[in-house]
Amino acid sequence: MKIVIDAGLCQGHARCASLVPDVFDLDDDGFAIVRPGREHVAEDDVDALLAIDNCPEQAIRLEPDA
Amino acid sequence: MQADDRSPDAGTRLDAFDFHGSALDDIWTDYRAMHAGCPVGHSSKYGGFTFLAKLEDIFSAEQQPDVFAVSPSMLLPAFGTDVPMIPIDIDPPMHAVYRKILLPLFTPRMLDVLTPGIRQTAIELAEAVAAQDVADASKEFARPVVTIVFSRLCGFPEKDWPKFDQWVDDIIYERAEDPERAYAAGNAVRAYFDDLLTERRDAPREQDLISVLLDARIGEEARHLTHDELISYCYLLFVAGLDTTSWAIRSGLWHLARTPEAQAELRAKPELIPAAAEEFLRMLAPVQGMARTCLRDTVVRGREIKAGERVVLVFGAGNRDPDAFDDPDTIRFDRTKNRHLAFGGGIHRCLGSNLGRRELVIALEEFLRVVPTFTAEDPGQSWHGVGPLSVRIHRERGG
Repeated sequence: MKIVIDAGLCQGHARCASLVPDVFDLDDDGFAIVRPGREHVAEDDVDALLAIDNCPEQAIRLEPDA
Repeated sequence: MQADDRSPDAGTRLDAFDFHGSALDDIWTDYRAMHAGCPVGHSSKYGGFTFLAKLEDIFSAEQQPDVFAVSPSMLLPAFGTDVPMIPIDIDPPMHAVYRKILLPLFTPRMLDVLTPGIRQTAIELAEAVAAQDVADASKEFARPVVTIVFSRLCGFPEKDWPKFDQWVDDIIYERAEDPERAYAAGNAVRAYFDDLLTERRDAPREQDLISVLLDARIGEEARHLTHDELISYCYLLFVAGLDTTSWAIRSGLWHLARTPEAQAELRAKPELIPAAAEEFLRMLAPVQGMARTCLRDTVVRGREIKAGERVVLVFGAGNRDPDAFDDPDTIRFDRTKNRHLAFGGGIHRCLGSNLGRRELVIALEEFLRVVPTFTAEDPGQSWHGVGPLSVRIHRERGG
């Protein structure tokens, strides 16, 4: 699966980058990005699900790999 | 749910729902009544408002600023002024223009620079607390740690700090009971920033937020902020940055002073403190609700909200929504799913949330590390606000 961040929903709460810093980072304005090379995970990936469960705006989701 | 489905008790209790002052003492009972049968209701307080209690409804409203606007103010009742505070009382499109000025300065990476100073301040204040048998952990720790850290960041001169607590108390804590006192303090704070900004305008720039605001260029015309805009922005920083974090630190210590097993657990496992901080924010949040104005007729859970109605997003109720949190009324350090609303959401998400979290976590870490086991000395002191928090320090014998 691929981790997708909806930039229209992300408001920079920074929960993902705080809880899973290996996978999520923040841009200069504090909005979430996925670290390059870390986009693809299993659908039960614990770290990705932790970020999804704690994103206040529900801006993070998993999409099937293309 | 329809209004008809409400139990009579819930209806009576919630018809005058309030979320300030002594109403906070047992506001959890109101929240349980909301979740039991009145997730959307109406209160007669403060000129009348519709309240939303469900976490998803609140987030949804926050994500629709074109339906739920902040104008004339998200504060209900007013924060000692009728001048809109920048940026929280500003709707799109100007909101983003104002917010962008300070947004990059409150990212976790930028805050890393502040961390050593926050820790040093927390250690010094905690050491003074630890030297006493009975101390006021609010007046001597929770409040000054925030005043020092935030005032330095903003560029509020140290000689003025002794005036700040009283202004905050009058504006934030007296506004429901004594609006005139809140407005008098609000006028004093506006006059204070009028003078400070006039003085700073032609002075050499410093490494602080006031300098950033003075030099900022906004919009397509890349203009400076006007003097009135600068006063409004500083006013917002003052009322938003000083009080909320002090409350959060105090309420965390309040819980730990009354819950020996929780205190012992965090002493044994300080790595749990960030998760504990999230729970204190969820359960004991400094901001229990913020107002919006409905711009067009809309329906939430079958209940009509008319254009022009004031709507209060009851963050504190959303934070205890049984549909969003297992065991919602319990502080649990092992909670792994925590989308709480302590900082709000949507475009008005608290700009200082990363700073507030950092201050809260470091303050708790250092207080627990420096101060021996402490207990509540005055069981009657309430969980909310920034009033006294008397704690007894239990030094080990012979230590």
